[in-house]
Formats: sequence, C-alpha cells, structure tokens
Amino acid sequence: MKKQQLHNNFNVVGKPAIRQDGYSKVTGKAKYADDYRFDGELYGVMIRTKASHALIKKIDYSELNENRFIKAIITADDIPGSKKVGPIKQDQPIFCADKIVTPGDVVAMLVGEDVKELRKLTELVKIDLEELPVLDDPQKALENDSILIHPDFKTNLITHYPLRKGNVEKGFKQCDEIIEQTYTTQLIEHAYIEPECVTAIPGEGNLKVKIIGSIQNPFTTRKVVASVLGYGLNEVEIIQAELGGSFGGKDDTMNILSARAAIAALKLNRPVKIKYEREESIIESYKRHPYILKYKVGFNKDGKLKAMKIDLLADGGAYSSMSSFVTWRSVVQATGPYEIKNVHTDVRVVYTNNPYTGAMRGFGSPQPIFAIESLMDEIAVKVSKTPFEIRKLNGFKQGSLTASGQKLTGHEVTLHKVLKKAVEVSSFDSKWNDYKKASGKKEGAKQSYINDSLILNKNDFINPDQFWRKGIGLALSYRGCSLGAEGIDAAASYVSIQPDGTVYLLSGLAENGQGMKTTFSIIAAEIFGISPDKIVYLEQNTSRIPDSGPTVASRATLMGGGATKNACEELKKRLIKLLVTIWKLKSGKDLVFVNNEIILRSKKSKRIEFGELIKQAYQQGINLATVGWYAGPKVHWEEETGHGSAYFTYVYGCQVAEVTVNIGTGEVYVNNIWAVHDAGKVINILGAEGQVYGGLTQGAGYALWEKISTHNGKIRENNFDQFLIPTSKDIDAIHPYFIEGKEKYGAWGGKSLGEPTLELTAAAIANAICIATGQRFYNLPINIEEMLLRRKLYPESLTRGSTS
Amino acid sequence: MKINFTLNSQNVSIEIEPNLRLLDLLRDRFNLTGTKEGCSIGECGACTVIMNSKAVNSCLILAGQCNGAEIITIEGMESDGKLHPLQENFLKSGAIQCGFCTPGMIMSAYALLIEKKNPTDEEIKEAIAGNLCRCTGYKQIIDAVSQSAKEIKINT
Amino acid sequence: MIPVLEIFQPKSVDEICRLLKSNNGDTRIIAGGTDIIPGFHIDSPRFAGIKRLLDLQLVDELKTVSINHQIISIGAAITFSDIITNPVLNSYLPLLVKSSKTIGSTQIRNRATLGGNFINNAPCADSVAPLLVYDAEIKIKSFTSEKIMKLQDFLVKPYATRLNPDEIVTKIMVPVPSTDFVGDFYKLGRRRAVSISRISLAMLMMNEDKIIKEMRIASGAVTPIGTRLYDVEEFAKGKVCNEEAFKEIAIKLGERILAVSGLRWSSEYKIPVVQQVCYQLIKGIERRSL
Repeated sequence: MKKQQLHNNFNVVGKPAIRQDGYSKVTGKAKYADDYRFDGELYGVMIRTKASHALIKKIDYSELNENRFIKAIITADDIPGSKKVGPIKQDQPIFCADKIVTPGDVVAMLVGEDVKELRKLTELVKIDLEELPVLDDPQKALENDSILIHPDFKTNLITHYPLRKGNVEKGFKQCDEIIEQTYTTQLIEHAYIEPECVTAIPGEGNLKVKIIGSIQNPFTTRKVVASVLGYGLNEVEIIQAELGGSFGGKDDTMNILSARAAIAALKLNRPVKIKYEREESIIESYKRHPYILKYKVGFNKDGKLKAMKIDLLADGGAYSSMSSFVTWRSVVQATGPYEIKNVHTDVRVVYTNNPYTGAMRGFGSPQPIFAIESLMDEIAVKVSKTPFEIRKLNGFKQGSLTASGQKLTGHEVTLHKVLKKAVEVSSFDSKWNDYKKASGKKEGAKQSYINDSLILNKNDFINPDQFWRKGIGLALSYRGCSLGAEGIDAAASYVSIQPDGTVYLLSGLAENGQGMKTTFSIIAAEIFGISPDKIVYLEQNTSRIPDSGPTVASRATLMGGGATKNACEELKKRLIKLLVTIWKLKSGKDLVFVNNEIILRSKKSKRIEFGELIKQAYQQGINLATVGWYAGPKVHWEEETGHGSAYFTYVYGCQVAEVTVNIGTGEVYVNNIWAVHDAGKVINILGAEGQVYGGLTQGAGYALWEKISTHNGKIRENNFDQFLIPTSKDIDAIHPYFIEGKEKYGAWGGKSLGEPTLELTAAAIANAICIATGQRFYNLPINIEEMLLRRKLYPESLTRGSTS
Repeated sequence: MKINFTLNSQNVSIEIEPNLRLLDLLRDRFNLTGTKEGCSIGECGACTVIMNSKAVNSCLILAGQCNGAEIITIEGMESDGKLHPLQENFLKSGAIQCGFCTPGMIMSAYALLIEKKNPTDEEIKEAIAGNLCRCTGYKQIIDAVSQSAKEIKINT
Repeated sequence: MIPVLEIFQPKSVDEICRLLKSNNGDTRIIAGGTDIIPGFHIDSPRFAGIKRLLDLQLVDELKTVSINHQIISIGAAITFSDIITNPVLNSYLPLLVKSSKTIGSTQIRNRATLGGNFINNAPCADSVAPLLVYDAEIKIKSFTSEKIMKLQDFLVKPYATRLNPDEIVTKIMVPVPSTDFVGDFYKLGRRRAVSISRISLAMLMMNEDKIIKEMRIASGAVTPIGTRLYDVEEFAKGKVCNEEAFKEIAIKLGERILAVSGLRWSSEYKIPVVQQVCYQLIKGIERRSL
C-alpha cells in the first residue's frame, strides 16, 4: 500500500503505527456503552410530549399505577441538586416540570426491567398541555413583540459579540467596488453511528455513583452529574466507554442522560441504563447552528480588500448550550484569513423553539467560511482575477494583523504555502480556465431551465452531451487552535514506566475515535526510543487523572501531546541522570534513546537496553511515574470591541474540489478533493490522513445533502433514511497533503487538524459548482432542488407515505 | 420457539421469542456484542452479519427466520488466534477511527471476498455502500479491503 | 416495536395456502422483511395487528426463474441480488436487472424480494416501472383458487393492492420482449448509493425506418404508484424519430404525470426534471438503436 512517508529525523513520529485500540476494534471485542452488562440492571425510557412550546398543566401517571413493569417514574421532583444545567447559562432542565420549549424535551423517565414494555407504556402517560405560540424563525427572535423562550432572561438574545476595527463606513467610501450578499447555512446532525447510551451504577464505599457511557467529555459529565446530585466531584466517577463517534455531539446530551440515569440508579439502588434509538437521538440531541450571514465588502479595482461589514445571526434553538463559545469563534474568524483595515462585525445567537444547537466539529467556522470563501470568488470575478490571485493578494502573511488586531507571529504563517501547494497539485488554474470557458459558452448555463410553468418548452431541453458540466473551486482558511480566550487551557498526562520497561500512559483528554491514544503513544515511544506497542494506554476514568478540560476544539494533540511530551521528558531526564552516573559521563547530551536502547553517540559500543536501564532505575529507587502538565500561554479578549489575541497559535489549510454537475437534474458528483493542511508537525500519519478523509467527507455532506428541517420546531429527518450522510460511493477520490509549518507549542509543534479538514469543504464545493454552472448558490445544502429552483422543498406534513 | 442454526461454525440450539431480532439474539442471548445497532431500519449497516454466505442487516431479520441458517459474526473472523487478513489490513491501513462501524464493515467486505476474488475499487465501494461510516471517509477502508483481496489471492 | 408474534417457516406454496386459508388479516407473509421490520420499528399502521408471520425463505419454488413458451417465470420471492446475477434475466429483462442494482444496499438486495417490492407498493418501488413496461402479469394463489392478473391492475394505490388476506403472489410472468426493443431505466436519487428514488422511468422503444413503431413507458416515485403511461405511448406511436418528436413526447409525459399525480409539494422539481430525463432517455435509446 502506498503510504505518505514524511521525511524527518524521527523514529516513530510521522510513521504509520497500529492503533492502540485497533485489535479490540477489528475483533468486535471493544466495549462500547451498550456492550456493558451489569447484574440487576434496569432501563430508563423517556416520556416526551408532542408539543414544541407549551405549559405543562398536569401529568397524569395514574394508568401506570401498580404496573408490574415499572420500578420507578423519575421526574424533576427526584432531583436533589441542580434542576437545570448548561455549560454557560443553566437553562436546560434535566426533566421539564412546568414548560416545554422544544420537541426533544423530556418530562419524565420510566424505569423497569423490560425496555420494550416500558416503551409501550409511555403511551399511557397523559400530559395536559397549554400550547404556546411557536417561535421557529430566528430572525423574529429579537423583535420587540416576540414571545420569549425563557422569560426569566427577558430576551431571546443568548450572546452578542461585536468586533470593531478601523472605520468601516470610511473604508466603504474610499473603495472602488462594493458587494453585498446574504448566505444561509442549515441545521445538521452529528450523525455519530453509535446512538447515545449510558449506565449509572450505585457506588461502593465513599464513591456515590459510577457512570459508564458514550461520553465525549468525562470531566464535564462529572461536573454536571455532581451538581444535579448535590455531590462532591470526588464522589462521582465517570468512565468513558469506547466511543462510537461524537464530533462534538456527545457532550451536553450525554451529561443530561448521565444525570438522569444516576438519579434513578441511586433512587432504586440498582444499575440503570439509558440507550437511545436513532430517532430519539436525533430528536433530543443538539446540532450544528444554522446561520444567516450578511456580508458587505468594499475593495479596490485591483482586488485589495478595504472594508468589511458582517452581520451573523445563529439559531441557538431552545437552550444556550455552547452557543456563546461557538459564535465567539465565528466573530474571530468571520473575515477569513485576509488582511482588512476596516472591519465591523456583529454576531448574535438567539433562542427559538427549534432543536437546540451546540458544539459540532467546525464549531462556528464552517458557516462563515462558506460565506467568505464564496464572496472572495465573487470579488475575483468583479476584478477579473482568479480565485488564486485574489487570495494571494489579500491573504495573511507573517506578521499580518487579524480582524481582532492580533499580530500573527510566533509561528510560521503558512497560508500562502498551503494555497500554492493546493493550486499546484490540483492543476487548479488550467482546469478553472477550461471549465469556466465550457460553462460560459454552453446554452442554459446562466440559469436553470425551470420556469414557472411545470411543462417545458422545446428549447428548455438540454442536449445530452451538455448535461454534465465540470467545475473546480477552492477555499482557504486559518483557524485558531484550541480553546483560545474561551477558557482555561491546560491538560495533564500520566506516564509510568514499569519494571520491565513497558509503559502505562493516560491523559486527561478523551479518545473519541480520532486516534488520540495512538498519537500520545507515538510521542512517548519517540522520547523513550521504544516501540509504540510497549505502551498501554489506560481506560479513561475521571478518578485517575487530573481534569484536562474537554476534548474539543482540535486541542488534544496540541495540549495533551504537549503534556505527554513533558511527562516523558521528565522521566527521561531521570533516566539520563542515572545513566550519567553509571557510565560516569560529564553530561547526558550524547545519550540517544532509540530502537529500545540507549546509545552513547560518541562511543557507539557504549549501549544499554531500555529494559535493563529501567531495571537498574528501580533498583536505585528512582520514581518512574509522573504527571505531565501543559498549559497554553495567556490570551485575552475584549468583549466590547472584539480586540485581542484570540488564540495563541493558528493553523492554515486549503482545499480544492472538483465536481461534475448534472444541470438537468441538479445532481452533483464530487470527483476529487485535494486537501493541503498545515497542522504543524504530523505525529500520527495514518491518523492525520484519516482526519482529512473523514473531515472533508463530512464537509461534502454539509455541502450537498445533509439537512435537518423542522416544521413548527419538529424534525422531519429522524433517521438515516431521511438524513443522508455520504456513503462510500459519494466521493471519488481524496488527496491529502501536509505542510509542517514551524511551531513552538505542543509536541514538536503538532497542532490541530480535526476541524480544519471539515470547515473548508462545503465552500470549495460551492465554488466548484459555480464554475460548472455559471451560477452562484448562497444557501446550503446545495441539494437537487436548490440547484434547479434555488430553494428547498418539503412535504407539508411530518408523516411520510409509509407511516400514514 | 426453538431454533437450531450454525453460529460462527458451532451448532447452536436455543429457545427464543420469535419476535426477537437476529441482532438482539446475537447481542443479548449469545453476548456477541461486536455486532452493533445504529439505526434499526437497515440504513447504517453497523449490524451486518453473514447469513448463508451473504451480508445481511441483522436488525431486519427475526430470530424466528434463522432456523437452519449459517451465521458468521465479527467474533467468528479470527481463527486459531490469528486475525483474518481483512482485520490485519484494517489495522495497517488506518481504516478504523471510532470503530463502531468496523465490525459491520468487515462483514460486508468479507461477503464481497467470498463472491469476488479480484474486486475493483468500484466493487468494494458498492459492497460497503450500505455501511455508513462517519469518521473515516472510507478511503483507508477501501484500501484495506483491496489489499486483503490481493493477499488472500496469493495465499490460496 | 416488533409485536409479539409467531413465525412459521412453511416449505411449499400449498402449505402457505393452507396457513392463509382463514386469514382475517392477522397473518402476513414475510419475504425479505426489509419493509415489514422497519415498519414495525416505527409502529406503522400498515403492519398493525399482525400476529403471525409466514417466512418464505425455505420455499424454493418461489425463487426460481424459468423460461417456457416465450414466457419468463420469476418466483415472487427471488431476491434482488439473485435477479442481478441471473443469466436469463440479464439477457431478456435488462431493465429489471438495472433497476435491481439501484435498490438499497448489498445487505438490502440480499434480502428484499421482487414480489415484496410491488406488494408493498410504495411509490418509490424501483422494480415496478420495468415490470410494467415488460407487460408483467402475476400469479396469485389461495387455498381454493388460482388467478392471473396484470401487474398494473394489481396495484391500486400507494401501499394498497388487490391481494386478499388468504392469497399469495407466487410468480411474475413476463413475455419475452421482442429483440427489436431497445430500452433503458433511469433512477434519480439524492445520493449515489442507498437512496430512495425521487424519480424513476423505464422505457422500451422499437423503431423501424426512423419511425417509432412502439414505445412503452412507465414511471415510479413521480407518480403515486408505479404507472404505465399508455397515453404517452399512444402519442409516440408512429412519430418520426427526430428532436421535435422526442421533445413532444417528453412534454406529453410531463403533462400526463401532472394529471395523474396532481400538484404535490415536490411537483415543482419533479415535473420539469422528469421531462428532461425522459428526453435524455429517448436520446440515449435512439443512439443505441442505430
């Protein structure tokens, strides 16, 4: 198999390595949340209403009285501690007691031994509701007479972030051209293949409760469960089961499910499991924010950007969740990676009765990138430049100032490198010229053939050899690494060398499938000069390792990698000190740890096996276990002006998409995507390539097919027959390339890749479609109806043919 | 009702409720939890097993339909402590991320290799089109299947 | 949710007919189960009240393909995977094979059956349009009777057919099509695999000296059920093979489908596109007829 080999001076870093969890995953032995069985376990099944917005008048459980299948009915009354939770604002109830604000809301949970019977019994609960008007349009949320989703807050505004730089009005006056455009992006589901599942087990001894589940951020879950139960953090233990995909999605929902299970487990003193079916997973879990993005840009005849006014509105749905953090990334990155003197940005996120939105891979970047990268191509057309030229002219260079006034220094700004590489490997310029010419000349290129009348005229028919058009498009981005000014940014890693020279490793971050365990093992193996298979990565358990913050924001490699490297280097220092003594050296600088031994560089015959050295270290009573810590440097942000050093470092990426469009049916086939990313040092090459393949496949789904639509707040697409994610046949080929820009942070400068790979793809595809058809599309997803009608079509009713 | 069938080369006989799905029979009665449930309607393929040499969604088959059938699950792929070439190559190609789709994916690939010794990439894509993967973008999976076919051909 | 039920695995059609003899609707035949089981999962009213399932897996006589006196007989419980690899069907009924390849995933095609596809009678049943243009008839048996019916007559409305509770469809019978026919099948889905049809069209065309001697055309997904469009066929007959005529036929098809389906939420997209697709199909067939 042809594998990209990165040329470097490392022994393990950047070389293919077998995953830590690989064997258990290919044999079916890996234990996901639903694969755990506990003696005497009970199941919890949720009770929901049919409303999107309503007051709960009365809930009548009388038909369930004395029912032999029911061990308990758990409601808000059973909660000893916090009844509402949330990462920023505590606005989301564990169980709704008086009001429903979105269809995913849960009023109670039936607990019993037979989950099938429990599901049937949910029908017997009578809920008396007073329906309230439904607010499903975020654009109406801030109107004076709008109904309020959470009246206590006196407004539907969750957060407003302004950013002001220079004088945008003056800037517009001084420039030659102005373009104003509005873009929209859709609500989508994470679509992890494993639905939510968790079991709470009553604790033993001083531990009050133990929770095993499909949990993305165990420390966050611990915090929520402890607060709901009124316990100390050390009385609650969270174990992460093997996680069947998350992409940001198994956070808030899982915290709440864990709390529900824990309440029931403690009440009944038995293990309680909650396992969601796909439909309820989609109905209840949070999703990616839909945005309405208004851009006004002023530029000179040569294409130089002068001023940009940006107004973004995000639909937060019924609960605030991570909305304030998600939209903060948008305000930082809304201008794209371009130098602009005058910027005026407002980002607002509001409450509605729609499904709530929170963290999803990309986290506030795919939406503005779709807008700004579409806009850059429009600007290029106005000034007769190519997409490459317009970006080259305006793109960030070393030392450029971002919109928030941050000077890009301290790391290598590789924006122009990734752009140049992507354009070269995809033969962008020549294809772009050819395809543009082809689409420009062909009949029907400018507009869809569909007119008001449903019946075609004879000249509407398209010649068969002109049915398919090719297009190519690119998109460019910069992305702040890790949490930035969102929060405290530090992580821990525990490393312990055993007497035989094998190693235990555990970090406070979580394996969500991305390959973090393997990446950290590679780091440890490199430092100790041993093979990665000598390292056993331990089970993620909140009792065993310091809280390292959430595994989000593509921060694991950077932060946890840094912590792992620090821990290993500390132990290595101790080993070197010992060896200096044993070998009577002046210093340890000539000692090399490689191939399972330690060699004295100046005298190659002087060598000792790693295991032998460890044996001696143990005999000398040397401590070979430590917790490494890695904290990011200080960053700051001024909320009122949007000024500050948002993130301590950045990554850069460029993707080129080549598509074929059927202008008769609106189908788009994705032929090729070239992805060039600077993620800093590539540590785990198979994992890195996997992030590229997977991330941009999700990005292609976002561009073309994926959409959760709602009707009065209720979801239509509640399973994989309606919510269409890409299959193996939907993208022909993907070509990843890595550029390793210089970076001082993290392990050898290993930064972020998970989200950068996803955020660009929809924009690149949209630009490619524009070249193929001669038409620009402003609304994601660009599905078959959007292609031909410039809008989406939905059935009036939620019930489908087969269900009615 | 009582059913008899072959499960990973063993003859088994079990008393069941007829409305139990094959998926539940495997997971709950035989504790073969390698077979996963992702959608319950035959769209995601996480529950794929081999039934009479063909890949099927075990969420769409009732246990009562399995009398006399020959069923192979992911747990039956390793033989004499040795991984099947597909499993080996999934490891080597980096074809796994979260791993939840992996057992079903390997079973679909296995069914393909029973039928076709020399599958093209297009045939591999078609064979696993019913197995949704949200993590990997499929590329390394396709590489792993292709490489396995080559190795199996050499060894037989 | 899957109801509590009994499952029988009969070994012959006779045995099935006996088991169905006094069926009041609580006994249902299950072939592939790719419709019934997801239906149970979402508590579809179409499968409410079922207490007994008759599984067809062991009934070999329902899976055979034979050709006799210019009639191709296909067992109703043949799977789509078996259709795809069957040499008789590949040489005589290519449109049926082509449509079968577009159905679901490999896993679904390994279970789903031809009979199940039209007995379910969903608008998007992909094999129906090809069967209709091939003038398929079906054989229906009960304990007391046996009858043959045109497939088009069997299909009543979405999810409804003329099948009585005591009956089973045993065979699909298709006259061997004239070798003068050239045809094609087209399916439009939202994705390149495992997608539900938005539009499907099956077409057979026979030209003689640049005159359309016969055209057969049937639609799926764009009409409430799979529908043979006789008016359009009549309109096409005798037309000279040229651009004008092809476009007129496509327009006529659009008008006819609009009349059959009425205005629906999806019409704005589907009606224009089905005309475009129809024209493409005719052009492609014409090219291959030369």
